[in-house]
Amino acid sequence: MMTENWRETMTDKKQQEGADRRNFLKLAGLGTLASGATIVSGGAQAVEADLQGATGYRETDHVKKVYETSRF
Amino acid sequence: MSQMASLEKEITSEDADRAVMYGFLGRMMQAAPSDEDLEVIRHLSVDDSPLGTALDGLSKAAAETSASELKHAYQDLFIGLGRGEFVPFGSYYLTGFLHEKPLADLRASMAGFGIERAEGVSEPEDHVAALMQMMEGLIVGEFGQVASVDEQKRFFTAHIGSWAGHFFKDLSATETSAFYAAIGVLGERFMEVEAEAFAMSE
Repeated sequence: MMTENWRETMTDKKQQEGADRRNFLKLAGLGTLASGATIVSGGAQAVEADLQGATGYRETDHVKKVYETSRF
Repeated sequence: MSQMASLEKEITSEDADRAVMYGFLGRMMQAAPSDEDLEVIRHLSVDDSPLGTALDGLSKAAAETSASELKHAYQDLFIGLGRGEFVPFGSYYLTGFLHEKPLADLRASMAGFGIERAEGVSEPEDHVAALMQMMEGLIVGEFGQVASVDEQKRFFTAHIGSWAGHFFKDLSATETSAFYAAIGVLGERFMEVEAEAFAMSE
């Protein structure tokens, strides 16, 4: 019983932390900037992408893979 | 397709935006923006949040410059003849030398996540552009699966938190380019937000 309660408390705490973190990120401007920021992210390619569907973001594949990054 | 669907489910809009921010900063630090990029940046619609105002500053700076001007600025700032105004590698920033322990630590983390350097690339992996893109990849699951917030936090704390904020802050003070100074403001602010947000999860 004791353990159950402890678990529940931990889960609640975790969830609360997650919610706090998300709220904080929102306040900072993340989560609502999406469309504007998406466009920047991929430049011309991403103009068509719509972050709301993460697929668009994914499919643009504008992400130069990290391991190619150092090619300047 | 089903993988895409699950990806959508797993990433909140906040995390998607974080990934975009990282990806954007990574790209801006990797090379000068193209004309198309600049045009898009000039027309950003933003809000008055901390990151929104930083993006607004960037958008305004973008209106005052051109791709060819930024090409030169990028060269002067980060490459230069011999050495640019900045040497945006973690190891260098932390120790004054490339290829020191911070790079070794990063390589160990990269191996853990299955991240590899592209063939033929000889530069060290701890360039700020690479690190930003690694965070982006961890958030969206580029390296297999979406990394948990805890994993992201560990990676950030180990390889980014200790120096990237300082680097962007230094960049924000450059007189070489208002555009890159604005990138510095945005980067510094974003690094602060990330550090604070990670501090909220244990």
